[in-house]
Amino acid sequence: MRNAHPSHWSWSASAFALAGIVLFIFATFGPPASSSGFVTTLKGFLEHLAPEYAASKAHYRAMPGPGSWLMAFVVGMAVGGFLAGRSTRIPVRDVPRIWERRFGPGRAKRYLATFVGGFLILFGARLAGGCTLGLFISGSTQLAVSGLYFGAVIFAVAMITARLVYGRLLREGYR
Amino acid sequence: MTEVLLGLFSGIAFGIVVQRAGATDADEMARAHLMLNGRIPRFMVSAVALAALGLVGLEAAGVGRTMVLPTSLVATGLGGVIFGVGWGLSGYCPGTTWAAAGEGRMDAVFALLGGLAGTAAFAHLHEVLIPALYLPTNQGPLTLTDWIGNPLAAAGILAAAFGGAGWVMGRLWGDE
Repeated sequence: MRNAHPSHWSWSASAFALAGIVLFIFATFGPPASSSGFVTTLKGFLEHLAPEYAASKAHYRAMPGPGSWLMAFVVGMAVGGFLAGRSTRIPVRDVPRIWERRFGPGRAKRYLATFVGGFLILFGARLAGGCTLGLFISGSTQLAVSGLYFGAVIFAVAMITARLVYGRLLREGYR
Repeated sequence: MTEVLLGLFSGIAFGIVVQRAGATDADEMARAHLMLNGRIPRFMVSAVALAALGLVGLEAAGVGRTMVLPTSLVATGLGGVIFGVGWGLSGYCPGTTWAAAGEGRMDAVFALLGGLAGTAAFAHLHEVLIPALYLPTNQGPLTLTDWIGNPLAAAGILAAAFGGAGWVMGRLWGDE
């Protein structure tokens, strides 16, 4: 087992902080969500580039455009990531260490993989009605069966997928 | 305007916490999925356990707004399978792509672009896929409270189950 980065918070401190934020969001807005923020972002572009198309599609009509809580929330997450990254010694890499060990340092292969992965997480989230935050965390916090069901499926399938992607490292003794 | 400022504040706080928890690091996420480190999943289930108990209090006080999403046996499950493949492959989920891109990870920028493409593809097919996959097996907005009756008891059972799951992950996978 590797040593933890000294800048990381423990799982318990992180959990208290996240629960506090989730409750703040329930109190001041409603159930937190982030995959919906992708719809809001696209709607903003499409309202300029192809307004008739955006108006004709139910998925865009169902979400607010820019100038909404959702848009501010996802932009805020990027700002939060930036501020957190500037104030720690956690190394920022373009190609994660475990990926480099399995597939080498080539950026193109990693970027293609994350583009495809990004496509799948959003396509799946929009089909299910939410993502890790908007369906699993928000839903389970409200004791929703949809959130518990989605959470069980995403954890199980991600664990199987990671074994298919990185399994050779494990067989070579990677820990 | 208040709504935008609240969203921005919430997003910044959220981005900072997921970065400090290690969830924006695809290396750590892969190690979580490979059961080599239980820190991130333990953080997630414990946050849900605490928030579920807190939300019972908020609801009792009449504060805030909730909205339970429906369970569609096919769409929620199939969406989860597609999501799980993408999560296991990339190590990012929709929220963490924004925070990790802000942190300066270029692979997360590509995950974000892929996410916009996936959203556009789904939005284009919404009128076909929702009637075909979502609506026929839609069970409505089910909650544990519907089965257990008392909201505090239901939240307590969920918190105990999630806390227990986190403890098992910490024992079996380790949590640095």
